[in-house]
Amino acid sequence: MGDRAKIDNPLPSIIIWAIALFVTAAFCWILGDLLWHGVGKLSWAFLTTAPQNAGRDGGIGPILVSTCLILGVCMAVSLPLGISTAMLLAEFTNDESWFGRLVRRSLDVLAGVPSIVFGLFGNAFFAVKLGLGFSILSGGLTLACMVLPILIRSTEAGLRAVPADYRLGAAALGLSRTTTLWKLLLPAATPGLIVGLVLGIGRAIAETAALIFTSGYVDRMPESLLDSGRSLSVHIFDLSMNVAGGDSSAYASALVLSVLLLLVNGIATWTAQFWLARRITP
Amino acid sequence: MKKLKNLALISIALGIGLGIQSCNPSSQTAAQKPDGLQGKLVLTGSSTVAPLVAEIGKRFESEHPGVRVDVQTGGSSRGIADARNGVANIGMASRSLKPEENDLQGFAIARDGIGIIVHKENSVSSLSNQQIIDIYTGKINNWQQVKGKNAPITVVNKAEGRSTLELFLAYFKLKNSDVKASVVIGDNQQGIKTVAGNPNAIGYVSIGTAEFSINNGIPIELLPLNGIAATTENVKNGKFPLSRSLTLITKTQPQGLDKAFIEFAQSPQVHDIVKSQDFVPISK
Repeated sequence: MGDRAKIDNPLPSIIIWAIALFVTAAFCWILGDLLWHGVGKLSWAFLTTAPQNAGRDGGIGPILVSTCLILGVCMAVSLPLGISTAMLLAEFTNDESWFGRLVRRSLDVLAGVPSIVFGLFGNAFFAVKLGLGFSILSGGLTLACMVLPILIRSTEAGLRAVPADYRLGAAALGLSRTTTLWKLLLPAATPGLIVGLVLGIGRAIAETAALIFTSGYVDRMPESLLDSGRSLSVHIFDLSMNVAGGDSSAYASALVLSVLLLLVNGIATWTAQFWLARRITP
Repeated sequence: MKKLKNLALISIALGIGLGIQSCNPSSQTAAQKPDGLQGKLVLTGSSTVAPLVAEIGKRFESEHPGVRVDVQTGGSSRGIADARNGVANIGMASRSLKPEENDLQGFAIARDGIGIIVHKENSVSSLSNQQIIDIYTGKINNWQQVKGKNAPITVVNKAEGRSTLELFLAYFKLKNSDVKASVVIGDNQQGIKTVAGNPNAIGYVSIGTAEFSINNGIPIELLPLNGIAATTENVKNGKFPLSRSLTLITKTQPQGLDKAFIEFAQSPQVHDIVKSQDFVPISK
């Protein structure tokens, strides 16, 4: 039956192929455009020197450092919080309990909140109320708030996807709950955690609106986490929307941002697999 | 083996923590300088002024190593609000202070003109003030009505809170609610890109930025206003009617570091920076 349908009606497969090609082409176009415009400006000096003349000349050294610091703060805060909350939701609360439903519902709402709202919240809470000012710390913490829902929900889904047999088996062997979680369930849920990490990092590294109000606009090399530091995305936004003649630097910065995203994702995926998945495979 | 790994992790975490801790005092001790100027200066406000002040700030920092100048953006309204409630040491606005803002102190550091721009392919080469008003209020909605080709007019307007918008409205005696905009934009460069990408669009942007874009082959054209060509020259000599002052704002009469920075930003030492950012220096 299935074979006959394939021979008789090639249209569906043609359409599906065309759509897949279209999606790939869109991606290649964007990447090709970035390479075409950006690669000429790219050099070691561009990656290491400070911007000059409002970013038209010079490089992106301090901005690259700020971006990595902001991302570092964001991940250092959101990973432990996210994994523990996911554990609580998946392992320690009943599916039907009002508490679990409330937390899950609010996380889903939070995941859909526009980033500018997080920016205003971050500015009011971290920068003004807690007195952190425009700083990398404010920016990183604001991003952590943004990333948390994504991270929690996908890690939770990963934990739920672990077959109940694992838990029963562990209980039968007399393993404690902590050991089961740490040595068995969490490593087995790595795929979910990685999905959350990749999505979360993607959202954090591409963030502009929330960071203008929190980590700020200063393009000097940051001396501490309490310094204001411009992220790559804010730099690209400013160069393309506010600085005449900043386009070539904007393209080169966008190229660096894309490569950085791939790099950070690769490292995160590899580390997660290395630390966790290795524990349950012989 | 596992213990070693955990130990390594803990020590890395501790190292990072200590690194963060130790950064703060060291940056403060570095601030001790013989000329007495030290500390951190926070400026917020207009996105038009921010790149200029950031560059001025860099030169100020290089002359006074103990000083850090932090520039943040967000629009003139925010600059004025932040200067008033003390969130920033100095606010930045791309206009002069209004009479009702006389509780604040304003210091002009450069001038900028606002010019009407259309696409280069647009055959219309001048518009009267009344025609511009009619276009922005929707009474004229086809280029044919102003001796152009038969095409609908795309009206590009600035977003609320932008001082370019306020100046434009004040000059033409319009209210923003009267404006029938097709596109609402934020920064200058966005306005130029919108008009360059649409042969039927009309917009208004900073003349310095527009001149820079035209010299770099962007297909836009500046229209004269009231018969006066929109050039930086005419902004400088005060002939061009729609121009503005880029202003630094403080709550009280500036003292110490604030005063030193404002004086520096008004001095001829920074005229080359002002020009390189496509604005017109003020000669005192």
